[in-house]
Amino acid sequence: MIGLGYHATLLSAPTEAALSHIEAWFAARGWQPFDFQCQAWRAYLQGRSGLIHASTGAGKTYAVWLGPLAEALAERGATCGEAEHIGNSSSRQQAKRARRDDAPPLRVLWVTPLRALAADTEQSLREPVESLGLNWTIERRTGDTATSLRAKQKSRLPTVLVTTPESLSLMLSWPDARERFAGLRCVIVDEWHELLSTKRGTQTELALARLRCWQPNLRTWGLSATLGNLDVALHALMGMNGSDATLIRAELPKEVVIESLLPEQVERFPWAGHLGLVMLPRVLEAIEANASTLVFTNTRSQTEMWYQAILEARPEWAGQIALHHGSLDKVEREFVERGLKEGRLRAVVCTSSLDLGVDFSPVDCVLQVGSPKGAARLLQRAGRSGHAPGRPSRVVCVPTHALELVEFVAVRDAIRQGRIEARLPLNKPLDVLAQHVVTVAAGGGFRSDALLAEVRTAYAYRDLSDDEWGWVLDFVTRGGRALNAYPEFRRVVCDDGMYRVADAGIAQRHRLSIGTIVSEASINVQYLKGGRLGTVEESFVSWLKPGECFLFAGRLLEFVRLQDNTAWVRRAAGKRPSVPRWMGSRMPLSTELAHVLREKLDQARLGRFDDAEMAAVRPLLELQARRSKLPEPDELLIERVQTREGHHLFFFPFDGRAVNEGLAALVAYRLSRLQPISFSFAINDYGFELLSPDRADLDRRGAEMAESGELGQGGAEKAEVKKQRISASSLLRSLFSPDNLAEDLVASLNAAELARRQFREVARIAGLVFEGLPSRRKSSRQLQASSTLFYEVFSKYDPDNLLLTQARREVLERQLEESRLARALQRISRGRITLLDVEKPTPLAFPLMVDRLREQLSSETLLDRIRKMQAQFEE
Amino acid sequence: MVTVTAAGEVLQLLPERAVFWPRRSTLFVADVHFGKAAAFRAAGIPAPEGGLAEDLQRLSQVIACAGAERVVFLGDVLHARRGRVDHVIARVTAWRSEHSHRQFMVVRGNHDARAGDPPPEWRMTCVDEPFIEPPLAFCHMPNASPAAGYMLAGHIHPAVWLRGRAGLRERLPCFVVGPSRMILPAFGSFTGSASVQPTPDDRIYAIAGDVLVEVW
Repeated sequence: MIGLGYHATLLSAPTEAALSHIEAWFAARGWQPFDFQCQAWRAYLQGRSGLIHASTGAGKTYAVWLGPLAEALAERGATCGEAEHIGNSSSRQQAKRARRDDAPPLRVLWVTPLRALAADTEQSLREPVESLGLNWTIERRTGDTATSLRAKQKSRLPTVLVTTPESLSLMLSWPDARERFAGLRCVIVDEWHELLSTKRGTQTELALARLRCWQPNLRTWGLSATLGNLDVALHALMGMNGSDATLIRAELPKEVVIESLLPEQVERFPWAGHLGLVMLPRVLEAIEANASTLVFTNTRSQTEMWYQAILEARPEWAGQIALHHGSLDKVEREFVERGLKEGRLRAVVCTSSLDLGVDFSPVDCVLQVGSPKGAARLLQRAGRSGHAPGRPSRVVCVPTHALELVEFVAVRDAIRQGRIEARLPLNKPLDVLAQHVVTVAAGGGFRSDALLAEVRTAYAYRDLSDDEWGWVLDFVTRGGRALNAYPEFRRVVCDDGMYRVADAGIAQRHRLSIGTIVSEASINVQYLKGGRLGTVEESFVSWLKPGECFLFAGRLLEFVRLQDNTAWVRRAAGKRPSVPRWMGSRMPLSTELAHVLREKLDQARLGRFDDAEMAAVRPLLELQARRSKLPEPDELLIERVQTREGHHLFFFPFDGRAVNEGLAALVAYRLSRLQPISFSFAINDYGFELLSPDRADLDRRGAEMAESGELGQGGAEKAEVKKQRISASSLLRSLFSPDNLAEDLVASLNAAELARRQFREVARIAGLVFEGLPSRRKSSRQLQASSTLFYEVFSKYDPDNLLLTQARREVLERQLEESRLARALQRISRGRITLLDVEKPTPLAFPLMVDRLREQLSSETLLDRIRKMQAQFEE
Repeated sequence: MVTVTAAGEVLQLLPERAVFWPRRSTLFVADVHFGKAAAFRAAGIPAPEGGLAEDLQRLSQVIACAGAERVVFLGDVLHARRGRVDHVIARVTAWRSEHSHRQFMVVRGNHDARAGDPPPEWRMTCVDEPFIEPPLAFCHMPNASPAAGYMLAGHIHPAVWLRGRAGLRERLPCFVVGPSRMILPAFGSFTGSASVQPTPDDRIYAIAGDVLVEVW
């Protein structure tokens, strides 16, 4: 898969002519094509596929888009035999929209991960088509597309269709899909790095496998940000038969300057997850000092809060600032995107919905509120600023709590060292496959052998076993493998070797459920008077009680009621959001960053505070050292403290959220086997907390000494601190032993119900749970059951169900990253374990202590547990 | 078991999710939703069978333990029309014949309205709510007319969140007992539940395995 240099290629004369015409078109705009663009055009014209990687806005779109256009120009030139036909005079005449019936049939599919990007993509693809005078139609087909346009597309697809993975999958379920895609020559997947390690990416792989099966010469092109594993990204996109694909690097990475806004007094700065509004004055200064600013936050609710706060502080900016996130209604989004491009907006507060795709001229200043949690993400966002050649990209990080300053330094170091995160494609998720198989059964049907061969050309399913395939077929035809468990089940039926959906109702429901890979059910937000504002997740609405206020789309809204899949709201004037429900970002710190973070803390332990951020956070780290200690690189620090809430144990392995979660479940499980005890646990990137109403007996001797006052009463310690040093017992070591890991981990997953939680997603995709139907008709309400209920009945009556297995596997591989976890245990067991009794929660422990989102695990009987509980109705 | 007195009648709440009225030797259960899994399967959703046999066995046990001569289903006996499949009907018919000397009564619920009355071979007398048997009123909907007597109802599948120290919490099905009505937990095992919002006059008995615990 090594790309040939573009100079080494031979193209036909009309193609060369078309290519020069493209270059002339470029020149007429005062642009000079980059090498990588020429390289991509030629590779395309030779019939090859490839992946182009570059930072945002580097000209990737034209690199991949002008190849298909040149091809069309060449063909037109060849048929007409006239050079002028490609010339300017004719293009001016034809610079109007092509008509559906005259335009060539579907030729290029453009797949984008965010439907919010589709409008913009359509716009930027259209411009060269029209000015080059091509008779092509370009349209979108996403969840946003109007019914009337869908109907027209149903009779004839446009020449170029911009779509999402879900909508593409949906089109494959049309009975005549194959004929409709008959003229397809190229699929372009935008922002492939965003899809790569998700189930939507797997869905895309399967769709591509199908299209390639229909069109063996289909070219696949991908656009990606820089990743640590581009070769894998290319392979996953091309599938198992794409041997001649090329990897094209857009440009040398531009210099990125990462700075931080430093709080004046770090001691007074929040210690734990916060909105970061303390830094508002400094952020306002930054916005004032620049003509245009993007303020990136990590979550939608943070975006809303920041937008509101900026507007309150600077009411005169009304109309000059805006907010942008993926849940907004498309009219709102498009308004903001236009404003950005036309330079009308001073600042836009946004989530990742703007670190993707949308091409607009770079802004002067990019602010990142809160930790970006990964080097790749920060690079992507930084790329939004300062596109002028030779000028560095600049991003200013805004801490929301003190320890984030350390993370900023860690990101900067990781980028400097070139440690960009890899994103791993998923390994044969059977829920996605089951969904795809039903899609294909609805889209004209299939024969088992042929579809199996096709599916195995998708990277994710390259080693799908015959047995697994057999299970998936059983699942869609008989409900499962368990004998007699699924009478009268019908979804897909096999007739003379041909598999098709059982009836039109099932096909219809299946099409409605295809979109559910994206996320949980979305609920419309709409005014009682009619105006639609956008969508929110069902879980968000379930938090709200009628009469409560929340921020959405930059407005304060009062929740009136939930009905017909819609949250009905009215404007709430003069009220405050009654419940901020700020839960902080749950994005895990990448492995690379976790590693650098540990190095940084060790430098601080040795008294080295080289960076400005480290110097700023120094008082806090010194407080940590006084109250407890800063852990050494080979040391696992455990802090123990008692409060009114109960007995807290804080563990700090610094392995990133995913691994820490696995460690928390494992340690809680192993402790719970030594005594009847119940824990709730909280996890973050630094460590985890086990909290119990009763004291976990970690070290009997230590406990006795503490009670009898043998330790720590000497007064030699600093005044505010009473430290009790207890040597790590063999008990502590056994908690982190790598022995029996596999068994204990599975047992702890079950005990902590992590698998049950993961099953939610699996159940949705495999079509067990229907959520968010556009109109919940009465008949579909009879088919509502929660994934929890399914998890229970499967565990009881069909325990070998592979969907259960998959949920467990996903927890182990994706959530907890089992291999990393094993490595972490090995590291811990080689090093030292230090248990300290501290008097007050430390700066490291505090963020865990205030985290309300907890898992739990218990070895007490249900009755013993609930005897100590009280009914709670304020949920 | 918890004994409460309502409208002068002694009623026993049972952790098997049923209520026994000793004076009339009557057992009440609500929301059994027979045929729910079958209805799912018919629509292409693979819900495994197995719950039905267990639910029937549990019902037989509680009937025997209480020594009930009559069983009153407080609505939603059948889940959906699509769930009226042969093997479900046959299974329940066979079970019914084990209780041939007992009287079965169904107060129609919202699901029964669409799914239809139970088949004749189940030998269940069907009535509309409220069915008055002074001083009690047998209902499905807890908000049906209250005047006629102390109301026994189902429909909402009540559950309660319990919260303890150290961030521990637990969600359990429950009975909600008020001065004018009582709501039973759903009996069927393939059913969901909804968190309740009690009034100050309500008492809540949570089902913790085989024990009832008063939690409110």
